[in-house]
Amino acid sequence: MRPDGLSLKANDASSAVLISVNTSLRSSDYPVIAWKTSGIPDAAEVGLLWRNDYEPGRIFNRRLDVEAGRVQPFSLLHDPNWVGRIVGLALAVKGVSGEPILVQSATAKTMSPREILGDRIGEWFTFEPWNGASINTLIGGADTQDLPMAFALAVIVGLAALIYRALARWRPQWVGGFRPVIVGVLFLVAWIALDVRWQWNLARQVMVTGELYGGKSWRDRHLVADDRAVFAFIEKVRINLPPSPVRVFMVADEHYYRDRGAYHLYPYNVYFSPWENAMPPASAVHSGDYFVVYQRRGVQYDAANRRLRWSDNPPVPAELVFSEGGSAMFRIL
Amino acid sequence: MEAVALALSLALPWALGIAVLAALGWPGEPRGGAIAMRAGFGYVVGMILLTLWMRALSAAGIGFGRASIGLPLFAAAMLLSAWAMRNARLSIADFRNAVIALVRPSLKGWQRVAWIAVIVWLVVHFALMSAEIVWRPLYPWDAWVQWATKARVWYELGHIAPFVHADQWLAGTANGYFDASPDYPATMPLMQVWTCVALGRWDDSAMNWPWLAILISLTFAMYGAFRAEGIAPLTSLFGAYFLATLPLVDVHVALAGYADLPMGAVYGLAAVAFYRWSVHRDNRDAIVALFLALACPLIKNPGWIWALTIVPGVIVALLPRRGLRVVVAGFAVALLGVLAIARAQPTLLGYHLKLDFAPAWAQLVKSYYLMGNWNLLWYAVIVLMVLGWRRLWQPSLAPLAVVVAAGLLFLTVVFSFTTAAAWIADLTTANRASMHLAPLLVFVSILLWHRMTRDSVETAPAADSAPVSTSM
Repeated sequence: MRPDGLSLKANDASSAVLISVNTSLRSSDYPVIAWKTSGIPDAAEVGLLWRNDYEPGRIFNRRLDVEAGRVQPFSLLHDPNWVGRIVGLALAVKGVSGEPILVQSATAKTMSPREILGDRIGEWFTFEPWNGASINTLIGGADTQDLPMAFALAVIVGLAALIYRALARWRPQWVGGFRPVIVGVLFLVAWIALDVRWQWNLARQVMVTGELYGGKSWRDRHLVADDRAVFAFIEKVRINLPPSPVRVFMVADEHYYRDRGAYHLYPYNVYFSPWENAMPPASAVHSGDYFVVYQRRGVQYDAANRRLRWSDNPPVPAELVFSEGGSAMFRIL
Repeated sequence: MEAVALALSLALPWALGIAVLAALGWPGEPRGGAIAMRAGFGYVVGMILLTLWMRALSAAGIGFGRASIGLPLFAAAMLLSAWAMRNARLSIADFRNAVIALVRPSLKGWQRVAWIAVIVWLVVHFALMSAEIVWRPLYPWDAWVQWATKARVWYELGHIAPFVHADQWLAGTANGYFDASPDYPATMPLMQVWTCVALGRWDDSAMNWPWLAILISLTFAMYGAFRAEGIAPLTSLFGAYFLATLPLVDVHVALAGYADLPMGAVYGLAAVAFYRWSVHRDNRDAIVALFLALACPLIKNPGWIWALTIVPGVIVALLPRRGLRVVVAGFAVALLGVLAIARAQPTLLGYHLKLDFAPAWAQLVKSYYLMGNWNLLWYAVIVLMVLGWRRLWQPSLAPLAVVVAAGLLFLTVVFSFTTAAAWIADLTTANRASMHLAPLLVFVSILLWHRMTRDSVETAPAADSAPVSTSM
């Protein structure tokens, strides 16, 4: 159990995760079921299961779609088995292994106009925090949206402009002659509405950023950042490096740690593999170089003979400078 | 004290750029917007000059320092300003009046209220982005894998040191450093170096203030350029507001460190200066346009191509009768040339050319029209281009329209025939590449809108839309 929901993990990919709730709702009043989830692989098999009071001994099911790690809402309006009083609901997920999935809530929806409008506005104003993809693209609210706000407003402005144009042509006594500035104002209002959403999101992000980093020194900000563990480790590496320029090899299994570790090592003359988890050839490693290993499998150190070895390369004479957890720093002899 | 140092680090290139433009007597005509244009173009011009000076220092073996960078440029800015003032090309009173017009516009009624509201709203935008710059350690991936890597090394060494490819580094034959993109241009890392030099320490948050300065300068420049076209103050302000509030542009300020926004700014302002030259044939516009166009490859490697997209516009401007036909034939030849070259599948400027026409249109439409990246920019562009198609090819706008067409053609080739198509599919590149064109698209869209509404007013004599003048 996490503060934001139930965290679930299957024993293996062939096992199913099942979460069920007892309910008592009239099927005709609530035609749509929406599970709020995250972290579900797109390839996972996800099903909605339910029981009704007509046939309490029977369990019905429907396959659900997954998009961007989230189970999509499902309409049972025309399902012949969505009848009577629904006495139990369940979500079954098969094909989940590795990272756990998160189930936050299940909502039975009436699909009234008010609720639909509320859902759309809720999607548009869902907080979208910074992530690795933010520099490339912004979603504009919730990860998945039935009706993106930009598209909705563009359609509204377009239709309003067409209606206005038609009225100005055929009913000028109502609206006067056609004035493009009226269309411009419609467009401006829509732009401002989208901008308000964007600024509201940015303001919330600034509050989160301020809470995490506000009032801290440069070093302290790094010590609470996403890469705090690798930053702290590299700090120890830097203490053990000589002041003069030396060559440093940075290796790690995780792309992020490898590149980020290298970044923190500059201005030392650092080498890392920016795009793939590749080790340098042993022939490129010379006496006096340093070798920083951060959570990297396949690197072996023979302390007795002071030999460092990786992949199929011949062993390299090296001295362990320090190690910590699954990480270490070596000096090439 | 650090705040003062940072403020001075931003003020120096700004003052230098303004002084150079004032000494040049640019912009020349006494129409509205001159001060805003000078202020807007000033930072970008000054930024390029400052980094050119840093390159010169490094080549001469002089280390980076407040004195070596700051003092000569400060002296140059003062001398040029004094010369410009003596020759009536720069006036403190003009600046004072411009600031007064900004905060207390000579507009009446609802227009005045709207003006103040937009200014306040823009200040809120800039303040929020500032907070992210102040607090957040360098965040986006490429910023710390291929841009700030250079800044860190050059700041600590006090001079520019070469970066080499992996094979050269591993062979140990080249005395250089390594990062993910050793061929990337030095301008933006040098701006980061300068900020840290002024600050007196390495700080990978504070070094990103130039990105905010670039956005603010773009906002001023756009406003000034619109005013210079005779567009009413409030409409001009909304035009600048459209650019300043494009969500992805704001992201590139809040999460600064990529060179896409600077690329868009330098290219966009080059195109604006070119447009002014094509209309007025003032050599000073040509000098500014040429300087900024030549600076494009100093920001990002595709800057060469962006700079070349202005050439068809020059042809149309110089050959108003036959120019369009020449350019269309040139586009066709260029496209055939690209297809011919693509048979060999070469890698140009980091893009692997191939013959497979496989654009990820669905993702592109999603990026432009459904997601939150561009507000309503691409809707406006497409509607205005369709409705204003005839006006777009009128003699005064045709040269700029050709530049836009060349830019869009470049994006189309990149998105359709290169490895970038795959990067569109996973939404990593399309928006950033499009950002290079965004300031120009905003400029053209507002110009086109102005022409369309002006023509509409001119054909409706009863309408009254006389612009209210202001001195800014």
